[in-house]
Parts: sequence; structure tokens; C-alpha cells
Amino acid sequence: MSTTHLNTEFEQIQGQLKSFILRITASVADAEDIVQDTYLKAAEKIESFRGDSSLKTWIFSIASNLAKDKLRAKKRWTEDVTDICKSAALSNPQFFQEAMQIRHSSTQGAFEIKEHIAFCFTCIAKSLPLEQQICLLLKEVYDFKVAEILQIVDTSEAMVKYYLHTARAKMISIFEGRCALINKEGTCHQCSELNAVFNPQQKFQEEAVKIDMVKAAEKGDKEHLFDLRMQILQGIDPFTSGAAELQLHHLEHNRKVMESFLKKNEV
Amino acid sequence: MSATTANGKATTSKTTFSRETAVSIAIQADASIIWSLLTNASDFSRWNSTVISISGNIALGETINLVSTLDPKRTFKLKVKEFEADKKLVWGDPMGNRVYTLSKNDQGHTVFSMVEKIGGLMFPLFARFIPPFDASFEQFAADLKKEAESIMQAN
Repeated sequence: MSTTHLNTEFEQIQGQLKSFILRITASVADAEDIVQDTYLKAAEKIESFRGDSSLKTWIFSIASNLAKDKLRAKKRWTEDVTDICKSAALSNPQFFQEAMQIRHSSTQGAFEIKEHIAFCFTCIAKSLPLEQQICLLLKEVYDFKVAEILQIVDTSEAMVKYYLHTARAKMISIFEGRCALINKEGTCHQCSELNAVFNPQQKFQEEAVKIDMVKAAEKGDKEHLFDLRMQILQGIDPFTSGAAELQLHHLEHNRKVMESFLKKNEV
Repeated sequence: MSATTANGKATTSKTTFSRETAVSIAIQADASIIWSLLTNASDFSRWNSTVISISGNIALGETINLVSTLDPKRTFKLKVKEFEADKKLVWGDPMGNRVYTLSKNDQGHTVFSMVEKIGGLMFPLFARFIPPFDASFEQFAADLKKEAESIMQAN
């Protein structure tokens, strides 16, 4: 395998790779660094690549290992991340001033409910154990097969299946309890609250019911609702979408808040 | 420790100073899946209908807090005494130990066994206050089998 092959493949997948790493780390700077380091490492080792997996799988395994190295010492976030970060944002007027400026001046400053759903998933998935978060994203968002995932995370098929099953069950249970878009009793209304701030002229319910997941909520099929949530993530590139700058600003805020929260509450 | 057949039926044997309940069941799943289910405290109550909650870290030397459907008002503080990945887990308190073991049978399935022995010199005094474990053990084994096999069969 030559560097030319690598360059061609890397060019094709780097958008996906960068969004995958962002969704693991919740850090724009880490995502950029890790993608760059992945390329350097892959270029250094390309001659030893034996083709036991696809080149894409091999590149994702390098990136995944680099992300794991970066995150190993860091505490996992908590399920109530959006509550913690909401309360921090409300006591920080600068956050809303900056967000409003992005909303009005950036071409990637729209507020869209779907984008917020994807953003929210990124935050809450960081409460899963790291291996589970990685496997879940690879399977449900980036469409890797179990056989490929076990190569990426370097574990057995049984363990990948365990991680996938447990992570999915956990996320379904969290969203069932929290997300007011799919459950009238859900405790989190941030989509509608933020929509009222950024799109004050819009009628939230009219916008929300355009989303398949919200439309399907009444039937209450939790597995199907989760699949629809994953379809939303599949359709959004967090770096290039029309809401990217606003959501990345929000993600950076949440990351800083959570890092400080976890440090303060260290056992 | 009692020898039991791996049919998911619990058996209990009693002496004046102790009581031992055991169950064993064959599961068509890798030992690593079963081990992961047994050692992930926060996930336990999702698949195991006999457990209300477990908090703490299921690892050697750690103490966990377990609330069971057998006695929902009581929290058992249990110490993890043995922890051999994919093979053996023991937790307990001064009154007794719960031993989980995983082995392979001739068909290549994983045999899960769970034994709890409680007793001591004071046992005759409190024996009548301890509910029978058989139904709860059978449910535990059935829940574990169902969950592990559904994970194994997933694509």
C-alpha cells in the first residue's frame, strides 16, 4: 500500500473521521489534532499495512486509539450534563451574547432543532463508558459492521456486541426519561427553550413535528425512536452544517463546564 | 458447595448452622459477555429483575451496596472478595458469601453457577427471618441467560 492510496482514502474519509472524533472528545481542538496525528501515524506506518482490514477501518482504529489515549485519564460526563450546562449558561451572560452574535452574523449560525438533537446526543453519550461510546458511534452513526468495529477497538466480537447492546439500552433509557420531544413526561425541554431564544418568530411545535423522530413519538416504539435519532446524526456533519458554528460554540461551552464540574466534584 | 445440574432450577440445603442455595444454567454466550453483565454495577437493574440497584465498583477489594427485591428496604453492604475475570466472582458480608462461577460444558456453552451460603453460630436465631432464595435465584439465572443470549445473537 502506498502513500498515494492513503492520501486518496484519507481525503475521502477525513470529514467523517473528524466528526467521529469530535463526537468522542467534544473538543474542536482535539478533533483537529487527532485527525492530523492520525494522518501522520498512518503515513509513517502505511508500508506495514497488510490489508487485514479495509484502509478506512485501519485509519479509524489509529484515530480511535489516539482519542482513547487523550481521554483515558479524563472522567466521563454525567447523564444530567444538559442540566448542569444549562444552569452554568444561565449564570453566564457572555455565553448568550456570543451565541446571539454567531446567530446573527455567521453563515453557520442557524438554530435548527435537528442540529440540537445531534448536539445533545454527543453530550449525553459522553456519560457512557468510553469503549461503549466509541462502539455505539461506529455502528449507529458511521455504519461500521461488528467485524470492523472489533478491529478498530481491538477486542472480541462478544465484547463489541456487549458494548453495543448495553450502550444502546442505556441511551434509550436516558432519552426516554429526559427528552420531551419523544416523551411528554420528559424533563428536558432545551430544544424548545433554545428555539424560542434563537428563532423567536418560529412556532416550535410546527417545526418539531417535521422531524420523523418527533412524528413517531406517539407510537412509543423506543427502539425505532432511537434509530430515528441516529438517522439525524448520520445526516449532520457538525463542522459543515448550517448550524455548525452555533452548535460548536455551545459544545465548547459544555465541555469547559463539565471539565470544571468534574474537577470540583472529584472523589 | 453443592453440585447442581445446569437446568436453571435452584436447590437449597440446610443444616442447623447454615443454609446454602445454588442454581446453575447453561447459556449460549461467551463468558466475557456474562462476566461483563455481572460486573457492571450501574447496568445490573436494567436486565436483572431481582436487583433494585447496585452502587459502587464491582472490583476486587471494593465494597458495593446492593438492594434486592427479596428485601427492598435493606441495603446490603458487600465486599468483593474474589475477582477472576470470566471465571469467578465472590462477594459477601460476615454472614455469608455469594459465589458466581463460569465454566464451559461439553456443548461449548457457558455454564453459570451461583451459590450463596449463609450461616454461623448465631444462624439458628435469625434463620426464620431470612426469606427463601430459590425463586429469586431462578429468576436471576433466567434473566442473565435471556440478556446474554440476546446480546450474543445480535448482529
